Amino acid sequence: MASTLQAPERGGGTTSSPRSGGGPGRSWVARTRPWLLLAPGLLVLAVLMLWPLVRVVLFSLQDYGLREIVSGEPNWIGLGNYTEVLTSSQLWAVVLPNTVGFAVIAVTATVAFGTAVAVLLASLGTVWRTIVSSCIMAAWAMPAVTGTYVWVWIFDADRGVFNHVLQALGLQDAPVNWFTDRWSFYAIVLLNIVHHGFPFVAVTVLAALLGVPRELLEAAEMDGAGPWRRFFSIIVPQLRQVFAVVVIMSTIWDFKVFAQVFLMPGGAGTNREVLNLGVWSYVESFGQNRYGFGSAIAVLLTVMLLVVTAVYVRTILKEDEL
Amino acid sequence: MSALSLRRPTRRAQAGKAVAVALLLVFTLFPAYWMLVSAFDAKAGLQTSFVPAEPTLDHFRFVLTEGGFDVFLRNSAIVALATVLVSALLALLASVAVARFRFRFRTQILLMVLVVQMVPLEALVIPLFVQVRNLQLLETLLGLVIVYVALALPFGIWMLRGFVAAVPVELEEAAYIDGASWGRMFRSVLLPLVAPGLVATSIFSFITAWNEFLFAMTLLGGATEHYTVAIGLRSFFGQFSNQWGAIMAASTIITVPVMIFFIMVQRKLAAGLTSGAVKG
Repeated sequence: MASTLQAPERGGGTTSSPRSGGGPGRSWVARTRPWLLLAPGLLVLAVLMLWPLVRVVLFSLQDYGLREIVSGEPNWIGLGNYTEVLTSSQLWAVVLPNTVGFAVIAVTATVAFGTAVAVLLASLGTVWRTIVSSCIMAAWAMPAVTGTYVWVWIFDADRGVFNHVLQALGLQDAPVNWFTDRWSFYAIVLLNIVHHGFPFVAVTVLAALLGVPRELLEAAEMDGAGPWRRFFSIIVPQLRQVFAVVVIMSTIWDFKVFAQVFLMPGGAGTNREVLNLGVWSYVESFGQNRYGFGSAIAVLLTVMLLVVTAVYVRTILKEDEL
Repeated sequence: MSALSLRRPTRRAQAGKAVAVALLLVFTLFPAYWMLVSAFDAKAGLQTSFVPAEPTLDHFRFVLTEGGFDVFLRNSAIVALATVLVSALLALLASVAVARFRFRFRTQILLMVLVVQMVPLEALVIPLFVQVRNLQLLETLLGLVIVYVALALPFGIWMLRGFVAAVPVELEEAAYIDGASWGRMFRSVLLPLVAPGLVATSIFSFITAWNEFLFAMTLLGGATEHYTVAIGLRSFFGQFSNQWGAIMAASTIITVPVMIFFIMVQRKLAAGLTSGAVKG
């Protein structure tokens, strides 16, 4: 199954099993060599990823503000920050729906649209497939920052092309500020995220689609299965693992949407209706200098993502050992 | 003949497909198109038209000469190149270790590499801000490079390990039989064969550093002279009005090189992503 997804470079299933030694013989050098090779990278990851992760948990248990940063004196308050986060109406009414609700909708939309595009691409001839996939790559390549600014410009209240066209068509009398309302704000974020995220899904699913054995499809068609039936009964089961990967990767990305919200009008904290977990954590930390409280929010976000990651790791490990 | 539908397509199906492709291309390309139109239109921000009403290069001239964007571009180039060099070296060494050797804790280390990729940057930004501050590297490009190397590393290890594993072990063994040392084998056999993967990984980490927003904003603070392009863009936002022509011209300068890179490495990128994600 996984063979449909292999890089073309790794021809003929050469899962060249890693060996115990580097060179001939099993000298001390050969045994320590992997560790020598790993040391610099592991050191960087430990100091800049793992230690900060530990520290964010430690910060979340403190009243950590500017004073504590400067003095370096910890000010432990136990679970106080967590109590405040979890009892805040802001969390349940605004931030969590904005984060989780948005992620669910965005993942569904991205995966459904990406898959539809993959099916379309698979049905095209080689030339058009190359042309269209190159264009799709352009959408993927647009950096989050510039992509977001373009969408902001398109929906700009006074001079945006969207309002302009609506007015020209007579659908609306005066320009509307689409960024003040929570729903239309997130509709624009959704458009931005789907536009930026569907190419990954399309390219990955396409690679897998092209690997589905034709015999299966032909046999199903002989048996009288229509296109929808063929898609859901043959292709979807064949692509189960690929779908698991794209769904989980998209989930992880869509949970921690930051720049796409932060850079929109009101998204940097002035409009508290549109806060999500990531922006809320940032605003509390760097806007209010409440680093402990912001850390507690960040820990909450991390725990939610680690649960998703655990599912991801399990899905992969089921098929293949690392 | 298509991959999914096996019958000869009808004329109506063909037309439907053409419409679908057209709509897809419009949706995909419209933001980039609108960015370009606004960047080249002298009246950008005053009116909107689907072709530049008064074509001009003034916005580009402005951002590069008066807007200070040349400085931001230089900063970004320095940061991104340093990130690529250091992270590619570290990732290559680590990926050889995990792809070519069996040792204790190998699986655990791979799992850790996988897990740290999922850690939200928002969780790391507070402790890293404090750490970089304690090192007195706040508002310096070096502080940013150190963080970006860490961000690019897990993906680099994960992606390169697929490429290293794809090099047949027999080639290595042949080198030993010819009397080569491990270091010699690494340079003459492994490195050339992994080079395409190294290029793809490098481009990916270049783009990560080029596009990154959150850490650049947090760690560079008010040091405008050290701003990278991703945060330098904000200088064209005024309190009362935004210079949309300048913003779109600067966005074009940031985006177009990345697009060209992406289209160049699209095959390698997709292969690396899928092999790293599913197997490797």
